[in-house]
Amino acid sequence: MKLPTDPVTLATPFFILSVILEVVLARFGKLKAHYETKDTAVSLVMGLFSTLSSLPIAGLSFAAAIWCYHHRAFTIPMTAVWAWVAVFLLEDLTYYVFHRLSHERRVWWAAHVNHHSSQHYNLSTALRQTWTGGVAFTWALWLPLSLLGFPPAMVAIEKGISLVYQYWIHTEAIGRMPGWFEAVFNTPSHHRVHHARNPRYLDRNYAGILIVWDRLFGTFQPELDEEAPRYGLVHNLGTFNVLRVAFHEWIGIGQDLLRQPRHALGWLFGPPGWSPDGSRDTSTSLKAQWTARQAQAELKAKQDAV
Amino acid sequence: MMIGLAAWATRGRGAPALDEPAARRLLAEEFPDRTVEALWLAADGKGAVAKSVDLALVLARMGDGYMARKLAWSEAAATPVRDGRLRLALREPGAPRAILTFAAWPPKDLPA
Repeated sequence: MKLPTDPVTLATPFFILSVILEVVLARFGKLKAHYETKDTAVSLVMGLFSTLSSLPIAGLSFAAAIWCYHHRAFTIPMTAVWAWVAVFLLEDLTYYVFHRLSHERRVWWAAHVNHHSSQHYNLSTALRQTWTGGVAFTWALWLPLSLLGFPPAMVAIEKGISLVYQYWIHTEAIGRMPGWFEAVFNTPSHHRVHHARNPRYLDRNYAGILIVWDRLFGTFQPELDEEAPRYGLVHNLGTFNVLRVAFHEWIGIGQDLLRQPRHALGWLFGPPGWSPDGSRDTSTSLKAQWTARQAQAELKAKQDAV
Repeated sequence: MMIGLAAWATRGRGAPALDEPAARRLLAEEFPDRTVEALWLAADGKGAVAKSVDLALVLARMGDGYMARKLAWSEAAATPVRDGRLRLALREPGAPRAILTFAAWPPKDLPA
């Protein structure tokens, strides 16, 4: 569904201009940004076809939202300021839940992984969007808002605002925002952590607009000066083929299901990296290994000091 | 147009060829629990293979970064070189193979 006031459509010229600006200014050393040709090409193609790939399922998600709204608990007016404040908070909380599920359950990670597949972190990375979000049915997470009584158009506008907000935080050009802003809002610094593959930073900072959800639910990790983020996946991709970028985790799930169908629930809803025999690495196991190495290094340092 | 712009922006700023210290640093980052017994750099500096007990640790250039994978040493050692290329089968949908430039393989200077 494309609304006449769709924030993403309105912001598209800004997206294009700001990427151009970031590339040019980085070239002349005026700001920090790293671009790589093939990587940028993949991000742009993923972004372009992401919009098209969402169309087939858009009718279904729209119909579901309308059905929910017809069975709503309350009638919430689109003209009331309090209603916009409420939908802002509830949509942002829904985004947090969606984003956390997208990282912590493999079937939804399969739809989200491509967004994290770049080894770079620049404005073009923000455009590296999923082609399979619709079929992963993550849009269903927003249906309770319509059941509650928020008009589907209102929810869609708020989702668009969130997406546009999250665009500008995909940059290394901005260091830290003022303290009060870093405390409340998602920022480039917080989101760099989210895109990092360092064990310390894995599965942290799921926020859309408000970082307060991560602080509330224990998933917040500040960016540390002593540990620069290394971007990408735990196991970085070995291809720039956009079809492989878009579908590799789905294919991996399919292969695992065919090989061991009796573990279907684990393959689908276990954390990414889950395997029946524990032979693969999950974020939890990688963090545990990292913590053990840190403890060992500290112990050795103490022994050496003695 | 934007892809062309990115190409222009990165012109002359390609990643340097991998040398031994850089390869060892990358391997330590990617495989912190493994000890490298021997290391062989690809002839064009775009990758490396290391032996770590029964595993081959592989680095292969991706754009200006690297991807890292491990596979059984026996399998890596048995892979032939064709046309100066060592094509290691990784068998992953997101990383089907690593292609490295080696004149000869397996290496003759294997650790005991």
